Amino acid sequence: MDLLDDLVTLLPELILVALVLVIITVDLFLPRAEKWLLTPLTVAGLILAGAACFVVWDINETVYSGFYVVDDLSVFLKGATILTGILSALFAPAYLLVRRIPLGEFNMILVSALLGMCVLASSSDMITVFLGLELMTMPSYLLTGLHKTDRYSNEGALKYFLLGSFASAIVLFGVAWTYGLTGTTSVAGIASALDGEMSAGILVAMGFLTVGATFKIAAVPFHYWTPDAYQGAPTPITGFLSVGPKLGAFALLIRVFAEALEPLRADWLVIFLVLTVLTMTVGNVVALTQVNLKRMLAYSSIAHTGYIMAGLAAFANATDPGVAAQGIEAVLFYILGYAVMNIAAFAVVGMLQRDTTRFGGLNSFAGLATRAPWRAAAMAVLMLSLTGIPPTVGFFAKLYILLASVDAGLAWLAVIIVLNAALAAFYYLRVIVYMYMRDPEPEPAPIDTSPFGSVALALSVAGVIALGIFPGAVLRFLEESAASLF
Amino acid sequence: MDGFPLLSAIVFSPVIGALILLFVPGTNHRAVRWIALGAVLVSFALSLLLLGYDPAGSEFQFREDLPWIDAFGIRYTLGVDGLSVVLVMLTTLLSVVAIVYSWEPIQTKVKAYYATMLLLMVGMLGVFVALDLFLFYVFWEVSLFPMYFVIGIWGGPQRIYATVKFVLYTLVGSLLMLVAILAVVIAHAASGNSLTFSYEALRGFAYTDSLQALAFVAFFLAFAIKVPMWPLHTWLPDAHVEAPTAGSIILAGVLLKLGGYGFLRYNLPLLPDAAISFAPIIIGLAVIAIIYGGLVAMVQPDLKKLVAYSSVSHMGFVMLGTFVFNEQGLQGAIYQMISHGITTGALFLLVGVIYEQTHDRQIAHMGGLNARVPRYAAMFGLFTFASIGLPGLSGFVGEFLVILGAFRYNGLVAAAAMVVVIISAVYMLWMFQRVFFSVPSDWMRKWWPSLRDMNRTEWIALAPLAVLAVVLGVYPGPVLDMISVPVDRIIEAVNGAGLTGFGPLW
Repeated sequence: MDLLDDLVTLLPELILVALVLVIITVDLFLPRAEKWLLTPLTVAGLILAGAACFVVWDINETVYSGFYVVDDLSVFLKGATILTGILSALFAPAYLLVRRIPLGEFNMILVSALLGMCVLASSSDMITVFLGLELMTMPSYLLTGLHKTDRYSNEGALKYFLLGSFASAIVLFGVAWTYGLTGTTSVAGIASALDGEMSAGILVAMGFLTVGATFKIAAVPFHYWTPDAYQGAPTPITGFLSVGPKLGAFALLIRVFAEALEPLRADWLVIFLVLTVLTMTVGNVVALTQVNLKRMLAYSSIAHTGYIMAGLAAFANATDPGVAAQGIEAVLFYILGYAVMNIAAFAVVGMLQRDTTRFGGLNSFAGLATRAPWRAAAMAVLMLSLTGIPPTVGFFAKLYILLASVDAGLAWLAVIIVLNAALAAFYYLRVIVYMYMRDPEPEPAPIDTSPFGSVALALSVAGVIALGIFPGAVLRFLEESAASLF
Repeated sequence: MDGFPLLSAIVFSPVIGALILLFVPGTNHRAVRWIALGAVLVSFALSLLLLGYDPAGSEFQFREDLPWIDAFGIRYTLGVDGLSVVLVMLTTLLSVVAIVYSWEPIQTKVKAYYATMLLLMVGMLGVFVALDLFLFYVFWEVSLFPMYFVIGIWGGPQRIYATVKFVLYTLVGSLLMLVAILAVVIAHAASGNSLTFSYEALRGFAYTDSLQALAFVAFFLAFAIKVPMWPLHTWLPDAHVEAPTAGSIILAGVLLKLGGYGFLRYNLPLLPDAAISFAPIIIGLAVIAIIYGGLVAMVQPDLKKLVAYSSVSHMGFVMLGTFVFNEQGLQGAIYQMISHGITTGALFLLVGVIYEQTHDRQIAHMGGLNARVPRYAAMFGLFTFASIGLPGLSGFVGEFLVILGAFRYNGLVAAAAMVVVIISAVYMLWMFQRVFFSVPSDWMRKWWPSLRDMNRTEWIALAPLAVLAVVLGVYPGPVLDMISVPVDRIIEAVNGAGLTGFGPLW
């Protein structure tokens, strides 16, 4: 019976595995004209997996000889993961079908990546961490290159793959060093073996882990793959790539740095502070000059990584456990809010690429407010949310980060964050300027109006506003999630 | 009326109007305009009920208090004191004026225009009634973006430059203020209090000197940019020149007052020690603003820019009166805000009247208008004199009180401020002479046959402002009664304060 009990704790993951198999099978039997049915199928499966998250909420068990932990933190991350999956699955089909990119493969690979992210969120052993990481990033490479006939897609995928596998190797090397120094791969074991002692060997291990992990979240100066990979990938997939793997990588950061290396947090704090400031500033400054919206959002996603890292820095700098928990809560809330708004923003860019020769230039947004008022309004809300203007989720997420930073004694970091937010306002608002204050091009880009995308966009925008006004709805989950670290 | 959420009704009835607008076809301009007007009239009528505020009663009346985000101690707390009451009424009145005035000039994207104006009202009214710092910040930002759209969509040729400048300036200030709010809240919570954003709880807490100084600077930046205070004023002329007339009315009439209100409500009572220490610097800046604004206004070739720079000068009076920390000064500052809202709002409206016909605002292009459009000239004259501060009109009371307060602070400061009374007479009267009495320019002669005097809509929009400019000039008693208690409280909060460990900064 023990085995069965353990299996129940894996319910969301099991559903995802089953979903992958079902998609492959059904895809074989569907005629070309009915491939779109795969989307509702995938979404239904993901909703089921999301519901399963509520079943395993509050279980708080470590299973499989300490390799896998099902605590509230992991379940929250899984819920967020599955949410990004649902949105991505809904936004993608219109864009993919026009370009004859096979929908079955997309859905199957997407769900596999989600599975990797779930494993990563639950891993309580360095081996599982690495497994999850690879299970997440391999499908991500595939997704980037899914548009086989497009050379930008190929280029992006190749860059992502080469640099990504390099980074994975570095992470693995760091894991090996840690094992050599502590004699264990278990997260809890490493934490107790380290006991706050710093040595040259641990410094090397920490260095490797930091480089590898920050590569995965695309922090400066390890971000060079991001713009090319993001621009090359099919647009709705870019939306997923800018959120999903990042979510997974932050799960890794929490597991490795906030848990395994927790005794050394005063040491990695310094590195993180430098990277945080660099990441948000460079991301924003470079985004300012972009005229391609996909590239602009890619750089801005680097800046957002910086904001999220500030939450981890607040965790590391806090003396009081309550304040430290606040840092983690801020990270989780930001990831959740960011996931919704960023996927939706990329999706709107994708909707304007119905004409396959369009590359997401800012010009295609000119005068959108007169051509498609609802989509323009949705995009405006998303841009304001990404800027961090109330009453949207982006504002509250930023507030959470700021609150955690100030509370942890990092008020100067909070000042840098808001100055960056003001900088970012310039390029986000430029999109609104194009949509509302300029006239349409002579031959405006046709707009995709497929029902899946419209519904998902409406839901995202409603979520962005609702969570902005009533964030209290998820705060309880956040508190319990963060509490599982302490 | 017990239990009726009056303040929420005032703040949110424009939202209801905007929601109704969503269901009206955009081509039906008539219905759109009437619905918008109905919504602001409801809000205005409800705000008249605030006259029931009892100055002798408790500080904040018409309170509403609901839990909002428990985990952070954020509550939905509204309440008004005398200061808020007069500013809320000014806001609702000017909103009605702006909506009425827009009747004819706005012919493109009518529905979106009115919806945006209604949302703008919500933000402005919310700022004046919020008693929770988080809620205040939310309303503060909400008041920013509708104006961004109003200038950017319905503005003049350089509108995009102007609106981006406006929004970025304001955003930098307000984001820094957000950090300051959090710092204050956390400092309050760190000493064993529960986490709260409540204004009443945070006020009167002994923050450390360094926190006060830093937080003061952050709040100061946010409000000083909004006021706008020299040298942070450069967004204002651009925004005004490009904004549509109704946008200018609201911008000058209400949005600038948000800054003045912020100083009175937040900077002084929350951080009194820092306020005392920084006061000499701010008074210096205010005097510079008063004189600089006047001098620059003198040489403006553009009628609207002239009025915009005169705002910089007038708002300098507000800042001066605020930071001399005595009764006359503070009362004068508040009175000056009201008076400036009315007279400058009216002047922008009047500039709009001629601009709608000739699409030009160059003073050199005008001349002799008194002969062609005498009623228009008469109204323009009335508000010109009100703006100069002629006794018997509203501008006089505020300026007089501020200068009186400044004399009690320092004779030299008052003398410097006095100079501007001459300067303002120069730039306003000289402008008036060139526009209405000198020989008509060749350019204006082209328009001569088609020029019309003020039409009915313009009269309706202007009449309440004209009445108020006179009434507030001869009978300031009721307003001064209303604001005397809040003023006393501010003085009480500031009195005896002064940074101890921080020392003077100069």
